Amino acid sequence: MRIGWGIRNLARQPLRTALSLLGIAVASAMLLDMVMLSGGLERSFERLLLGRGYQIRLTPKGTLPFDTEATLSRASAVIAEVRADTGVAAAGGVLGGSLYARRGDSLITFFGYGIDPSAQALYQVTRGRDLAPGDTLGIVLSEAAARALGSGPGDSVSVAGGLDPQLATAGTERRLQVRGLVRWLYDYRGQRSVGLVLPLMQRLTRAGADRASVVMVRARNDAEVAALAARLAERHPRLEVSSVADLVQQVRDRLVYFRQLSYILGSVSLIVTVLLVATLLAITVNERLGEIATLRAIGVSRLTVVGQVVAEGTALTALGAGLGVALGLVTARYLDTILTSFPGLPAAISFFVPDGRALAIATAVLLAAGALAGLYPAWLAARAPIADTLRAEAT
Amino acid sequence: MLLALLLLPTGDPAQLPAQEVAVERRLAGELGLRVGDSIRIGPSPDSLRMAGIVAAVYEPRPDPSGIMRRDKQIRMHLPDLATLLGHPDRVDRFGVSLRAGIAPESAAARLNRAAFGYRARPSAEIAAESSQTFLVVSRFHRAIGVITIVAGAVFLLCIMLLKVEERRLDAAVMRFVGVRRRTIFAALLLEAALIAVAGSAFGVVLAWIAGAATNAYYQRLFDTRLVFSLVTPGIVGFSVALSLLLGLGAGALAAWRLVRTPPMVLWGRA
Amino acid sequence: MSLLVGSELKRDYALNGQPVHALRGVSLTIDAGDYIAIAGPSGSGKSTLLHILGGIDAPSSGQVRIEGRLLASLSDRHLTQLRLTRLGFVFQRFHLLPMLTALENVELPLAEAGTRRTDRRARARELLEYVGLGARAGHRATQLSGGEMQRVAIARALANRPALILADEPTGELDRETGQEILDLFRRINRDGATLVVVTHDDRLAAEASRVIHMQDGRIVG
Repeated sequence: MRIGWGIRNLARQPLRTALSLLGIAVASAMLLDMVMLSGGLERSFERLLLGRGYQIRLTPKGTLPFDTEATLSRASAVIAEVRADTGVAAAGGVLGGSLYARRGDSLITFFGYGIDPSAQALYQVTRGRDLAPGDTLGIVLSEAAARALGSGPGDSVSVAGGLDPQLATAGTERRLQVRGLVRWLYDYRGQRSVGLVLPLMQRLTRAGADRASVVMVRARNDAEVAALAARLAERHPRLEVSSVADLVQQVRDRLVYFRQLSYILGSVSLIVTVLLVATLLAITVNERLGEIATLRAIGVSRLTVVGQVVAEGTALTALGAGLGVALGLVTARYLDTILTSFPGLPAAISFFVPDGRALAIATAVLLAAGALAGLYPAWLAARAPIADTLRAEAT
Repeated sequence: MLLALLLLPTGDPAQLPAQEVAVERRLAGELGLRVGDSIRIGPSPDSLRMAGIVAAVYEPRPDPSGIMRRDKQIRMHLPDLATLLGHPDRVDRFGVSLRAGIAPESAAARLNRAAFGYRARPSAEIAAESSQTFLVVSRFHRAIGVITIVAGAVFLLCIMLLKVEERRLDAAVMRFVGVRRRTIFAALLLEAALIAVAGSAFGVVLAWIAGAATNAYYQRLFDTRLVFSLVTPGIVGFSVALSLLLGLGAGALAAWRLVRTPPMVLWGRA
Repeated sequence: MSLLVGSELKRDYALNGQPVHALRGVSLTIDAGDYIAIAGPSGSGKSTLLHILGGIDAPSSGQVRIEGRLLASLSDRHLTQLRLTRLGFVFQRFHLLPMLTALENVELPLAEAGTRRTDRRARARELLEYVGLGARAGHRATQLSGGEMQRVAIARALANRPALILADEPTGELDRETGQEILDLFRRINRDGATLVVVTHDDRLAAEASRVIHMQDGRIVG
């Protein structure tokens, strides 16, 4: 085994090495963050969509779930037709709309979800219990809604729908009992949301009878989701049938900017790392030309010289990258805090999501870049004429 | 409300008389519509109950808030749309233009005192609220900018130290022959300043090129006249000032480190 | 067979655009066991001759044979291998690797030759003892004095049992007393069978040698 004199050279100039490590760490952190950003939102969104196992959504043609106020008609017939497919494990309709409640003199607005408790993928119960199918006297609240109403499980609340803004009167009002508090998976932070059974929501709002904003479908077999989506699209040409993959693609298209930014900044980080390592090694090799010429004179091969210098560059990059990982995780958290403050973004979404495979590839590319950066100065040094170099050193 | 358009009437005849509509350019392009073409409009795909005639193809004002959603628009006469949606004599909002010298805030306050069933707000207030998304993006860009500046500063300091150290033998000889520390320091600082100025100028050109490329790309991608990247004199001034500061700072630090080292140490004999 | 034969060696190169004739037809023979000093004023071509004899520079014309092998016919790889196993070099400025210990510096050519770790460690310790630095084996090169560094460099040159040791101004950076230690060491090395060719300004070292070659203006003059 050869003596690693190349790597030990890093300890020769501690300040220089420390600064180089810092530079590489910052560049590596940026690269790491951009790798997390490049597909982070999509991964996070996909995880959210598949969290409850509903892989397909049916919405009015040309819309995405809750993207507009549009609703689909004949909701119960559509749901029955969907359930009739042998590939469907469960299907349920959801109607979204505004509901109102009073607390004292204040009129509080809520986002209401009309759901089928036996086939829903929108919430998880955190306190109390869930709605029962057909429970037209019950309501579930988000934590923020419960705080706004000053109510909890077991309390009664009055909610109204179909508010006439000019007359400030409600079309329909109901007194309901709070069954439980729930965490709505698609809500933004602090959103005030309530849940009722679908038929009640249809009556309360002005949406009209038998209408739904979206029908959520769970396939029996993950491997057959695409085929099931194709069948449903064929049977319901006036509806938009979107699998999770389709929805993720839509998000990808809408937020293409972040992906492109991540590629650009990631590339710049790589270039900075290569430049820094190459410059450092070029200068340090230049300083040690006499030493290298002597080593060549005493019989050390060109290959060994190149290998040792490349090892020095790779070690520097590896150490810097190690620091960069720690720094990158911190900066990712900070940047994620900024981006997740987008208005209306579900609280469960993150932009910076680690992907093991991508991070491993990025690290490998970084190390390879560091190794390559040292290749040219190393080769120049190994090819320097020994006698001329020794003569120059002696003068 | 969703409006679905079909190019030609198919199926049942329209239940409402034909009305004039204006179609935005991109939508007209997608559907192959020209002035005089007939279309059907409705609030849902199974309710296309109004016939329309394309009276105009227009270019909408670029709207950043709709750019990602790639929304398409048509324009109709207000009563026609209200009738189509089944809400005659209803609107979402009024736009109010004030006489010269009237402040929007005071006008809104007066209207709200008399309001029944509506609320008046200055347009600037709505604009600020609806700009939250862009404020988040701005904050993100600023954060990335800060990180990039830190990385650049470290890189710059590292390179300056390396380059100055390369000349330590020259510096040692100069000290031996009697050149003063401050002369060497000033020479190195001048060199750093020249590099900083040249680098800044190059950076401005690079930024202008990158900005132009960014605008060209995204304007093509989203088919819009919106400006995505803007290099203003203020931005140039700030960037140049910062790069000069960092360049001079790094140069000064490297030069100071060199001149305070004893010449024999620089020479390698101590 | 002579150990080294140099025939009509010439070396020309350009310096700042001006032609320099460093060697103008030098011929010499070195036999095993010789202790040869090459002396002369600065610029006489001594170091250039040494570099050509050691295969680290190529003559413009003429040839060098070491143990019968023509250096010009060897590839860079074979030349390097020759320098590693059959020659040893000692330089004026020592050129030890500062981050390695004395022991590791001596081990370096052994490691390059593929010697097993235990064997090369033992050999390196033996050589350091030989040059009187057994107690300093674990010290880094930067922690050694000039004389000690040169002795480590000599130990390094002896690592692979070379047929010939070439030294360029080995006492040039040392004071008189330390230089004497090096002279004593060279004497012992030669007495123990090593062949030495030493370029030097040092009269004492020239006096130690069994043969002195005087050079001037790229020619042997005595």
